[in-house]
Amino acid sequence: MLAPLVAKRTLTHDLFVLRLAAPTIASSVQPGQFVNILPRTGAIDPLLRRPFSVYQTGEGWIEVIIQIHGKGTEELSKALVGDSLDVIGPLGSPWKYNSGSFSTAILLVGGVGVASMPSLTQACESSNIPFETYYGARNERLFADEYLKRVHYATDDGSKGYRGSVIDLLRSDLRSVAYAHPKLFVCGPTPMMRAATTLAAEFDIPCEVSLETEMACGVGICQGCPVQTTAAELEKTGKKFHLVCTHGPSFEREQIVF
Amino acid sequence: MSVNEKSSKSATTVNLGIEIAGVRFANPIFVASGTFGYGSEAARFCDISGIGAIVTKSVSWNPRPGNFPRRIVETPSGMLNSIGLANVGVDAFVTEKLPYLAEFDTKIIANIAASSVGEYCSVLEKIEANATGNLVGYEINVSCPNVKDGGLSFGTNVGMVEEVVRALRPLTKKLLAIKLTPNVTSVAPFAQACEDCGADAISLINTVVGMSVDIRTKRPRLSTVTGGLSGPAIRPIAIAKVYEARKATKLPIIGIGGIATASDAMEFFIVGASAVQIGTMNFVHPDASIRVRDELTQLLTSQGCSSMKDVIGTLEVSGEMRSLGW
Repeated sequence: MLAPLVAKRTLTHDLFVLRLAAPTIASSVQPGQFVNILPRTGAIDPLLRRPFSVYQTGEGWIEVIIQIHGKGTEELSKALVGDSLDVIGPLGSPWKYNSGSFSTAILLVGGVGVASMPSLTQACESSNIPFETYYGARNERLFADEYLKRVHYATDDGSKGYRGSVIDLLRSDLRSVAYAHPKLFVCGPTPMMRAATTLAAEFDIPCEVSLETEMACGVGICQGCPVQTTAAELEKTGKKFHLVCTHGPSFEREQIVF
Repeated sequence: MSVNEKSSKSATTVNLGIEIAGVRFANPIFVASGTFGYGSEAARFCDISGIGAIVTKSVSWNPRPGNFPRRIVETPSGMLNSIGLANVGVDAFVTEKLPYLAEFDTKIIANIAASSVGEYCSVLEKIEANATGNLVGYEINVSCPNVKDGGLSFGTNVGMVEEVVRALRPLTKKLLAIKLTPNVTSVAPFAQACEDCGADAISLINTVVGMSVDIRTKRPRLSTVTGGLSGPAIRPIAIAKVYEARKATKLPIIGIGGIATASDAMEFFIVGASAVQIGTMNFVHPDASIRVRDELTQLLTSQGCSSMKDVIGTLEVSGEMRSLGW
């Protein structure tokens, strides 16, 4: 569907937000789902759509965060208010925050991974799930925390919050703060997510990670976005790979191999 | 008759129907194997019953998990893939996928991949024994570049293609199409071999072997180093191969390769294809086949054509060349 760009704003020096009029998607999207956006309508180069987490929703609109990585995101960065973008969605499976197997949600965020967290924050609030947000960045100028709540900051240079990695901050708090039956919900750079799964194993707590990867179709046809399953998951499902686009983008840490 | 008169007359009479080996298709726009799954994935976005035929994802005897990531890379106007024939296996195909597809008013062509002649036969026999009403034929994949066993090794050896066709022909009276590779010097001997051994049609092209390198890490971008290039970037290659095959065989040709618009499809028809398959564009627009079908109706109408017969095989290579579209 064509979605008019109704607003565009800068979030940090390398992130900006597109607000698109997309009432059908806005009314049905669930926390953690994504949309697939064509960089340029009618063009064949770049050819494929790009996936983006739905950052925030409102009356008839959705927002996505853009970070320029290559040709597709650069094209999208040139979109002007009034332009229409070709969007399909919502796609993927939502965060599994309603499973009842935990009492406290710990949202662990890094980089552009912040895009999938506002919807989870709101879901926790509306479901009366206690939550804490741990947010790491190199320095304070990189935080995009406009929709986040109960945030514990960590910066590499100490410019805001804890000096050091957000993983170390969380490890310290898990030792000293009595979070009741916590579960980690993680979205950020791959090294951070890998470290988060190690941390979760260390404390024997559940952990769900939201992956970002290349995908051609986003709907399970092309089979281009596989992630290897663990031996236990292979035994359970018979599948050597899960698709990030349809099984994910979020997975329990026991399901997949980083 | 003026152009306007032609258009107004054709608007109500244009007929997209075609026939291949006795099978009647409502329109000549099919979806290519591996680009439409087993139908269910795209059903939310596409009027499946409006597609001329669905060529299902390659099915092998056993389920295949596919290759390790990274499996896809975008390239200029195209994409490289190394999926590795990930599929559910023939048992799940006949018990789950075919019954689902039987609910739609469209023709189904089952694409078969294998690593031996015996496996091709076993898979076809299994499907044949469980065929649903709208299953009209088979497309035999002798040309996948992304699997170690079988795959391209069949499709680049005329003798092997002959062996496969001869073995399969007695097993079915349904449409038997052979999907050929462009990764040979000349496709003509392969097309001729298919005709000589009893195939009903040929599909071409499959993907073109390609490679992409990350200049920062100096590593190949695909886990298998090379993969299959598809998308609009390969369309001129596909047109040339269809042109070559058209001269070598009388078999119907199903053209494949980078079709994004009705104009693209028309190039294939003019060169001699009876039908075309939409491939990579299904990833961009899951309803790409319906868009192209509708555009084709408009295009035929605007050109004063009333049926596909008016365009198929109408290529003229002699006379004055005109440069258009610059």
